[in-house]
Amino acid sequence: MSSSIKDDIQDQAIRISLPKGGEGDTISIDAIASIAKMHGQPGYVIEAEALKDSVFPTRYLRNMDGITSDEQIRLLESSVAQVGLGGLGGNLLEMFIRTGIGRIRAADGDNFEESNLNRQALSSPDNIDRPKSDAGLVRTNQINPSIAIETWNEYLNPQSLPDFLANCDIAIDALGGLKTRLALQQAATEAHIPLVTGALAGWTGYVGVVMPGQLGPADIMGHDNAAEETLGCPSPAVTFIASLMATETLKILTKSPASLTNKMLLVDLKHLTFETISI
Amino acid sequence: MKIELKLFATLVQFLPENSDEYPIDQGETVQSLLGKLGIPEEDVTLYFINAARAYLESEIKDGDRVGLFPPVGGG
Repeated sequence: MSSSIKDDIQDQAIRISLPKGGEGDTISIDAIASIAKMHGQPGYVIEAEALKDSVFPTRYLRNMDGITSDEQIRLLESSVAQVGLGGLGGNLLEMFIRTGIGRIRAADGDNFEESNLNRQALSSPDNIDRPKSDAGLVRTNQINPSIAIETWNEYLNPQSLPDFLANCDIAIDALGGLKTRLALQQAATEAHIPLVTGALAGWTGYVGVVMPGQLGPADIMGHDNAAEETLGCPSPAVTFIASLMATETLKILTKSPASLTNKMLLVDLKHLTFETISI
Repeated sequence: MKIELKLFATLVQFLPENSDEYPIDQGETVQSLLGKLGIPEEDVTLYFINAARAYLESEIKDGDRVGLFPPVGGG
């Protein structure tokens, strides 16, 4: 008779001294992978089961207690739909897969070009002219094979957005430019899911959380002629805005109060000012 | 009457030297302020006064902190 997932987790658990003190049971990435394979389940399912049995996946050990065990389970059982795998998107994907969000659907119809190298975490000289979506898939499987990743090599539009957002808990606006942002915000409203959005130009940027049906930055910013065309997108600003977006995303998925609901945080890194405004 | 003025991104080029104590007149609005600063209306997409979104016709009062933000969409 084959063993249960629960038994296999207990069999492979290793008791260690925890960084915060005391002892606890942990399970290695290799053990998670082998149990996942044996039971034909994605790794995140095994990891969530382990946590429910107070066995801590080693890969998430240092999330604690910034992310509690219950919150980690919620994240592993969550799904995000991320539009864009460029500057913001590459950084967001990296944070999502390392943090341990179980299911990620990500779309980008673009190929990398040399001018992406200054900021786009998924780009390298080796994948110039190659699809950004392929790089997202490769990176996810390389860093955290427990994640169920689905990539769409296409630019989304009002027709395809509903399918893209279907069965996801949250929408992430990691688009470049203003053209499609309002359509995404409207599609998220139609799907009854929150949207985390952010953008930047030079050393200035903003982040916001839009609940279904509420006004969002895309309603205000318009559709074209944005400042990034002259000010560019320097890496520290891109990474910083992506970090704020990722943090708000984790708060929403773990049912913590999101600080930027129906607000915009305006960031000016050059003058180091941060203003939260109600919109 | 004076206000604190905060301009973002491409609008920084219009920032006056006395932006921390920028003089305003009685009945000043966001629209009249844009005129004084020489900023084309179409260059600004978000106005805020003391952390709340404002509009062209919003009145500005002594001691307010006024922010102007252009269209920004880069990623």
